[in-house]
Amino acid sequence: MSLALNKIKTAGRGGLAFRMSLFILTSTACIFIAAFGYSYFYSRSQILADVEKNAEIITLATVSKIEVVLGGVEKVPSYLARSLGSSKPALPELQKRISDLLQTNPEIFGSAVAYEPYAFDSKTLYSAPYICRGKQGGLVSSFLGNKEYQYFFQDWYQIPKELDKPIWSEPYFDEGAGNIIMSTYSIPFYSNKGGKQIFTGVVTADISLEWLMETIKKISSRQSSHAFLISRHGVFVSHPNKDYIMRESIFSIAEASNDPALREIGRDMIHGGKGFVILKDHFAGQKAWMYYAPLPSLGWSIGVVFPEDKLFASIGKLGAIILAIGAAGFLALLIVIIAISGTITKPLRVLADKAGEIARGNLEVEIPTVSSRDEVAALSNSFQNMKIALKEYIGNLAETTAAKERIESELKIAHTIQMSFLPKRFPPFPEKEELEIFAVLEPAKEVGGDLYDFFLIDEEHVFFSIGDVSGKGVPAALFMAVTKTLMKGIASQTISPSITLSHVNLELCKDNDSFMFVTVFCGILNLKTGELLFANAGHNLPVLISAGGDIRWLSSPPALLLGIMEDAQFETSRMILTPGDTLFLYTDGVTEAMNPQQEFFSDQTLISTIAGCQNKRSPEEIIDCVLKAVKAFAGVEPQSDDITMLALHYRGKRTRQGNKVK
Amino acid sequence: MEIQTGKEKNTVVVSIKGKIDAVTAPELEKELSNLIAQGENFFLFNFSELEYISSAGLRSLLAAAKQVKPKGGNIVFSGLKGPVGDVFKISGFGTIFKIFETQEDALK
Repeated sequence: MSLALNKIKTAGRGGLAFRMSLFILTSTACIFIAAFGYSYFYSRSQILADVEKNAEIITLATVSKIEVVLGGVEKVPSYLARSLGSSKPALPELQKRISDLLQTNPEIFGSAVAYEPYAFDSKTLYSAPYICRGKQGGLVSSFLGNKEYQYFFQDWYQIPKELDKPIWSEPYFDEGAGNIIMSTYSIPFYSNKGGKQIFTGVVTADISLEWLMETIKKISSRQSSHAFLISRHGVFVSHPNKDYIMRESIFSIAEASNDPALREIGRDMIHGGKGFVILKDHFAGQKAWMYYAPLPSLGWSIGVVFPEDKLFASIGKLGAIILAIGAAGFLALLIVIIAISGTITKPLRVLADKAGEIARGNLEVEIPTVSSRDEVAALSNSFQNMKIALKEYIGNLAETTAAKERIESELKIAHTIQMSFLPKRFPPFPEKEELEIFAVLEPAKEVGGDLYDFFLIDEEHVFFSIGDVSGKGVPAALFMAVTKTLMKGIASQTISPSITLSHVNLELCKDNDSFMFVTVFCGILNLKTGELLFANAGHNLPVLISAGGDIRWLSSPPALLLGIMEDAQFETSRMILTPGDTLFLYTDGVTEAMNPQQEFFSDQTLISTIAGCQNKRSPEEIIDCVLKAVKAFAGVEPQSDDITMLALHYRGKRTRQGNKVK
Repeated sequence: MEIQTGKEKNTVVVSIKGKIDAVTAPELEKELSNLIAQGENFFLFNFSELEYISSAGLRSLLAAAKQVKPKGGNIVFSGLKGPVGDVFKISGFGTIFKIFETQEDALK
C-alpha cells in the first residue's frame, strides 16, 4: 500500500521530472525574459532615436524650403514699401503699382497700401487703396477705411506700426478667394521728413498658403506620420482632422482633454522651440511621438506626429515571433526534460520497487539491467551486487545459526550427560544412618570442569572427593570425565587416598598435551570408627565444623595438582571425626566469586557465612545457606567459574534409644 | 594486565601487574612463546604487583616451563603475595618451582 503511495508521491509534485522542469524552465524563462526584454527596449529606444533624427531632418528641411519660398514672397511687397518711402505717388500710379504686384505674383490675392491719417491726402482721413483678384479672374479695386472699419486699429496696421517691422497675420479663410487659407503680410513704410524716418503707412499683401498646406501634407506620406501647423496663437492652420483647422487650437484641445503637458508643448511651440515629445492618446487616437520646429518668418510651428503602433510595428512583429519561438522552445524543453528525467526516475522507481521486495524477504527478484553507463546504471549494478551479497550472507548466517543450534543442543545433551555422572540422589545411602551427605554443582557454562563424587567402597567405608579441572567448558568437562572415572576405578581398589591420587596422577600425566591439570581433595571415612583418611592435590582445604561449633580449616601438607609431574608425591593424613562433626568441601568458584566491584567472596567470608549458618545443621541446609550468600554477593556479575560444594555430617552410630555410641 | 620484560645477565625478568585469568592468560602465553622462540631459557617472574592468578594463568606458566625445561632452562618466581602466594602454596607449585622473596635473591 505504501509502495503505491510512494509511486504517486514521486510522480507528482515531489517528483524529479516536476522539480527539474520547474527549476530549469524557471531559470530559462528568467534568462529569456531578461534577454528579450533588454533587446526589445533597446530596439525601441533605437527606433525612437532614428525617428527623432529622421523627423528632425525632414522637418528642418521642409522648414528651410518653406522659409525660402516665404522669403521670396516677402520680397515683393517689400520692394513696394521701400519705393513708397522715397516718394509719394499719385493715386493712379499707386493703384498701378499695386496691380502690377498682383499681376506678377499669382500667390498674392490682394494687396493694399494704407496711409496714416491725412498722410496721403491732407484732406482725406483714410487712404488705403486695395486691389484684389475678382471671382472671374480680373482685378477688383476698392478702398479700405470708413467709420465702420477704422483700419488704424486693426492688427495688420497697428502691430507693424508698433513693432517697426513686417509681420504675418493670423491665418484666415478668405471666402472671396475661394475659402482658402490666407495670411496677410504687412510691412510698414516710412518717409523722410526733416532727416527723420517717419512712419507713413503699411503695405499689405494677402498671400495664399495653399502651397504651404501641400508641403505640410507631403511630410505625412513618409514614416506613417502626419503633420500639423499651428499659428502664433496656437490655432491649427493645418491638421489631418479638417474639423480642427481654424476652429481649434492646441490649447483648446489641451483644455478639452485636461492635458497640461500638451499646453506646455503648445507654449514651447509658439515660442519657437524645437523638440521630440510624447503625446497622450487623445491627440492622435493613440499614444504618439511628435517632432516640432518653428517656421521663423511666420512665427508659426510645425509638428510631425508618429503614432506608436506604426512606429513599433516592426519590432512588435519581431517580438511576437520571438515569443512564439520561446514558447515553442519551452514546450520542447519541457518534453526533453520529462523524457530525460524519465530515464532517470524510471530505473530508480524500479529499483525502489525491487528494494521493497527484498525488504519483504524475497531475494530472488530480478534487478533489471540498465544499458547506459551513467550513475543510474552504477546504482543498478551496485544494487544487484548488494542483493547477491545479501543472499550469500543470509545463507551463511542460516547455516551458521543451524550449526550453532546443533552445538547448543549437543551441549545441552552434554550437560545432561555430565550431570548424570554425578551422584544426585539424596540421601544416597539412607540405610547408613551414620552419615548425612549433600552436594551441589553449578557449572558456569552448560558443561564444566568441577567434579565431586562419593560412593561406598565397602560396608564400612565411604569414599568422597571434590575436584576442579583447570579451565571451563567442553575441554574441562572432558578432562573432568576422565579424572572422575579414573578415580572411581582406582579408589575402589585401594584404601589409601594418597595412593589413589598417585595412580590417577600417573594416568593423567600420560598423553597430556594440553597441559590440563586438576586439583583434587579426596578422603575415606570409616563409618564405624569415624576415622578419616584424606589427601589433597592442590585443592582448597575443606572447612571442619566440629560438633561443638568450632569452625576451622582442615590442614594437609601441600602437594602438586594432578596431571603435571608423573612422580609427584602425595601424603595421606589421618584424623578421627567426632559424631556431630561436619566437613564442608568446596571449589574456588565459591571463594573466588566476584561482585560488580570486582571483589572476591574470599575465604574469610566463607568462614563467616558458615558461622552464620550454624543453626542450620544438615549438610543440605549449610550448602543452601552458603550458596545463597555467594549468589547474593555476586549480584548481577556473571558467574565466571563452576561452583561446587560437598558437605558430610558424621552422626556416628546410634542406639535404638537415640543415644550416640562412640 | 601489564607485562614488562627486562634482561638481567642471561635471565629475562618478567614483571606482571594486575590479574592473570582466562581473559589475560593468552596474552601472557603469546609473550612467553615469543621470548622462548627468540632463544630465552631463563625466566624470573616478578609477581610483586600481581593481584590474582587463576588456573588458566597457572596453565600458561606450566606450558612455558614445559618448553624451557627440556632445553635446560628454568623458571623461578619472586615477590608472591596474598592470594597469589596462597594459590602457589595450595596447588603445590611451590614444590616444582623455586620461589624467592625478592628479585635479588632470585637472580642469585
